[in-house]
Amino acid sequence: MTAPSPRAGTRRPRPLLMIAVYAALSVATAAVLYPVLLVIKKAFEPGRQFALSASPVPEDVTLEHFRGLLGQRGAGGELAFLQHALASVAVALATTLVGIALACTAAYALSRFRFPGRRTALTTFLVVQMFPASLLMLPLYVLLDQLHLLNSLTGLVLVYSTTAIPFCVWTLKGYFDGLPRELLEAARVDGAGPARIFFTIVLPLARPGIAVTALFSFMTAWNEFIMASTFLTDEGKYTLPVLLQSSVGQFSADWGRFAAGALVTSVPVMVLFYVLQKYLVGGLTAGAVKG
Amino acid sequence: MTAALSRSRPAARAAALAAALALAACGRAGDDAVTLWHAYSGDERAALEDEAARWNRDHPERTVRLVAVPYDAFADKITSAIPNGNGPDLFVYSHDRVGDWVASGLLEPIEFWIDGDTAATWADDALAAMAYRGSLWGLPLAVKSLALYVRTDLVAAALTTTDELFAMAPGLRARGVFPLSYPVDDLYGHAAWLHGFGGQTLDADGRAAIATPEAVAAAAFARELVVREVVPRDADVALTATLFNEGKAAMAMSGPWFQGDIAGGVPWTVTTLPVVSATGRPAAPFLGAEGVLMSARARDKDAAIAVMLALAGDDAAGRRARRARQVVPNPRAYDGDLAADPVLDAFRRQLDASVAMPAVPLMRAVWTPYKNALGSVVSGASRPADALDRVASEIRTYEAP
Amino acid sequence: MTSTPPPRPPVRSALRDAAVAAFALWLVLFTAFVRHRNHELADRERARAQAAAAAVAAGEAPLHATSALGVVLPAEPDPRHPFLARRAVVDAAGTRALGGAEAPAADKLLYDAAARFDREGPFVGLLTDGSGRAVAAIATPRGPAIAVTAPPGSPAGLPWLMMIGLLGLGAALVTAGALSGRGALGVGAGLAVLVVPAWMWGGVALAAVAGGVAAAVAVAHGRGATERLAAGLIAHRVALSFLTPAAVAMAVLVLVPFLVGLVIGFYDHQHGTWTFVGLDNFARILSGDGRAFDDPLNFWFILGVTVLWTGANVLFHVVIGTTLALALRQPWLRARGLFRVLLIVPWAIPNYITALIWKGMFQGEYGAINSLLEGVGVGGVSWFSSWATAFAANVATNTWLGFPFMMVVALGALESIPRDLYEAAEVDGASAWQRLTQITLPHLRPALAPAVILGSIWTFNMFNVIYLVSGGKPGGSTDILVTDAYRWAFERGERYGMAAALGTIIFLILLLWTVFGTRVTRRTEEAP
Repeated sequence: MTAPSPRAGTRRPRPLLMIAVYAALSVATAAVLYPVLLVIKKAFEPGRQFALSASPVPEDVTLEHFRGLLGQRGAGGELAFLQHALASVAVALATTLVGIALACTAAYALSRFRFPGRRTALTTFLVVQMFPASLLMLPLYVLLDQLHLLNSLTGLVLVYSTTAIPFCVWTLKGYFDGLPRELLEAARVDGAGPARIFFTIVLPLARPGIAVTALFSFMTAWNEFIMASTFLTDEGKYTLPVLLQSSVGQFSADWGRFAAGALVTSVPVMVLFYVLQKYLVGGLTAGAVKG
Repeated sequence: MTAALSRSRPAARAAALAAALALAACGRAGDDAVTLWHAYSGDERAALEDEAARWNRDHPERTVRLVAVPYDAFADKITSAIPNGNGPDLFVYSHDRVGDWVASGLLEPIEFWIDGDTAATWADDALAAMAYRGSLWGLPLAVKSLALYVRTDLVAAALTTTDELFAMAPGLRARGVFPLSYPVDDLYGHAAWLHGFGGQTLDADGRAAIATPEAVAAAAFARELVVREVVPRDADVALTATLFNEGKAAMAMSGPWFQGDIAGGVPWTVTTLPVVSATGRPAAPFLGAEGVLMSARARDKDAAIAVMLALAGDDAAGRRARRARQVVPNPRAYDGDLAADPVLDAFRRQLDASVAMPAVPLMRAVWTPYKNALGSVVSGASRPADALDRVASEIRTYEAP
Repeated sequence: MTSTPPPRPPVRSALRDAAVAAFALWLVLFTAFVRHRNHELADRERARAQAAAAAVAAGEAPLHATSALGVVLPAEPDPRHPFLARRAVVDAAGTRALGGAEAPAADKLLYDAAARFDREGPFVGLLTDGSGRAVAAIATPRGPAIAVTAPPGSPAGLPWLMMIGLLGLGAALVTAGALSGRGALGVGAGLAVLVVPAWMWGGVALAAVAGGVAAAVAVAHGRGATERLAAGLIAHRVALSFLTPAAVAMAVLVLVPFLVGLVIGFYDHQHGTWTFVGLDNFARILSGDGRAFDDPLNFWFILGVTVLWTGANVLFHVVIGTTLALALRQPWLRARGLFRVLLIVPWAIPNYITALIWKGMFQGEYGAINSLLEGVGVGGVSWFSSWATAFAANVATNTWLGFPFMMVVALGALESIPRDLYEAAEVDGASAWQRLTQITLPHLRPALAPAVILGSIWTFNMFNVIYLVSGGKPGGSTDILVTDAYRWAFERGERYGMAAALGTIIFLILLLWTVFGTRVTRRTEEAP
């Protein structure tokens, strides 16, 4: 953001406006931070229920929730939380790899080549992104049932790929669009075939874009809840979101365990999100507007 | 960074795929084992795992594999997994869904393997709860009903009638304590009062008998409990445990599983539910027989029935009763210390005043509408008669003509 | 190099077209064959079981091998347990008791079949254990005569000779047609050969489909359309090969489930059986299932709730987001960076965690919201006992979740407004309010419009918040369309047909909204 120009707008505004602006921002910030502070407080306060007081300051500090969360052992003596974390990592990683691997070439084709049906393909990828995954959940459930892929992490990766591939195609196309034409022209004149151009010149150039897309894809799969809950039956296979939700289920609610788990699960992706968020808005609005 | 990315990607890709496949394959290992699904937690789960480990030690050639499935979605997952061959060989659930599952062809009848002598292992009522339309579909592991847990430091005298319950309220509320806590809008808990007032859900023929004057009186009673602050308005099962542990509820209406939720250092005892003062009849909760059932698609049925007989047998029953405080329906298991256990004794006495949960498929359609009705009655949004009429009309659409 | 490719020899192009069409048809025919063969096998097994039972009833030996057979004598119920009936069977080896812990598995088949006979009367059917065997029970004076067939051997394979012969005949017809100058006729005739297996395995319907395909391909070939298509594919082969991996994955992962979802909507699924019901599901949904408008199971009620939900949320998101963005843009503001970082926090938190946290905050006895209300003297509310408060709880959660997105979009749009406009307006004596309404808001509109479309679609489908915060309480009245569809599929007895029909309707609604919204957006962009 550039410094405000010295001529306009630096006159001190009316005090009423200043108060209103600071008040609005402060109220909004307080409303934003309050639930977060509550969760942090609950993670460190003993007891399975939220405390009666509404203040965000913990009255008593304990690490028992973290110990219980991270130290819980499953039926075979294995560390349960580690198992769930590994499940989440495996699923998110596999989804990202599938998404990127399948989407790279298609995104490049949609960006650089002109062929009949290109506009239809572009619209299709955009439209598929917009529609809720929950609509496809039932047919996917029936299909995976027939293939005996229910209650398996492989099946879950397939389900996630349904949304990951269109997202990767669309986002990568945006990056490929921004690559300098001259470089590619020069390579073509030099006699390189399109495949060679793609693998030796385009891909290395687009590495930052691919990395960003991969990270967003990973985050989306990491944070996904409802499909994992529906497609996985065996508690031992649960990914982290399902584990968190089941700790505050209908019949036994341990909010302390939930709060500790929420912190451990979401702090890494929140940090990642902060690093990446400026890429996200640009891609979304640019893509939607240009169509 | 870019150079590192390009070098590490193939290796990373291979490793990740291997990890994903390995994790998926983990689910396939031991496919020839007898798979048993359960929704146990805490001590009950530990007891079941002990029994499974014991069986596996003694029968290494036909092992049993336990799978923990959360209770909320358990029945739905069974119903959708079994028809396509993705379900378990055995599973543990209470008897009230048996009718529904038999109608869908999901269960295997087991009376073929059971003769009269074997059947004497279990109490007649408990075994009969696992029967439906002339066949036997499972073996009972434990009988469950609600009883009254009492904090002896907050309640001096034993509670015998509901009038006494109301009398307690002002004094306890002044100290910020509820006399009683249970999910007031759930039919499962409310059934104790419903039957105490002489009402019922389904009649002897399995047809709905919802909007009777007795049921209306029971619903009005539930509202009175909330209005006079005897019971919290909004407590679910989890909150009941917390209130009891933190001394904010003097009594809790819950089942044998509640013992695992009670925190250490809390002085408590169990007794039977009080008598409904308006009718003079004891409050009679639902009786649920929790048993092990066999899927119609079980692969090795002989191995499966052997596991069932072992789990429900007297030896295992005794161990489960001691470890998990389950009220087992095996009369011969109650010897020595078990016979004198006060908690088990209280639950067995409560069994005399309890009503078996109907197992006909129609019952499944009753829970949610009744819960909505109780919720609106308790919050004052509708009159008991109107709410129950609505329930009756909603269930009529599910009833076979 | 000439711009058009040289004309292909007629035979080669005719054969190519016929081969591609034949391959596509072949995939369908093979599926039909497998289904047909399985049906035939089941029918045969059932007939054999019936015949074997009749043979047992007549005292003769059955023709085909059986797993178990005999006449089961009437059940003797155990005096204490009416469901523990003792049975005995009479077969060639004499009379023996059925049952006990160590009895052979075949005896159980007889026992269970006798029990089913007692309940339903004579029957014939397939065993549910997936072995392909059939069981039949016929009444005789002594008791039901029961037979269970032996497991069928491996099923008959494809009649390869017939297929090769047909394909050869077809190829010959195609070649003859091409050589004699009637390429289209040849292709049509060659493909029409496949009508024969289509009729064998799929009846008249499939035969009609095969005939239709043959005719269509023939016409296309005759008009040169296939030639142009082939030329186009070859000209763009690089692009298409790049596109293929993602396209195939999308076809498999998106197109196929989408079509399956469409088809399932025409069936009813209850207790594990599928029945074709045509438009019945759609009729039930669109007519509100005969329920009152304010009944949560009425589609129009849920649609109303969903529209209200979407509208309220988008309104709040836009108003709050834009207001905060305007506030952040004040040039004299201190700590702008800090505010901006903190205000994006809700966007960074995974939304299921947000939903669960707010569910905890709205809890009746211990929730933070009620504690705050009691602290200011208003008194706690039972949030999920009434529709209005439960709806408000959901809206509050989603507003908290969603305003950062609008705020960031608005910030980006505000940054792009040229400063000179403001300076000129100030020079002209415009007040702050006029600057806001005449310059800022008009420039915001084109940037916010696509964000509003996206946001409205996301909100319309916001499953996690509704499912986890209010859970549809009270009584399902705060459910939106997507959660209702989920419950039909996974919580109301696996009614997949209703869920799929509802999903199709939701899809159409969203499609209409997207088309409508894009058109409006384009008009906003064109307007100055």
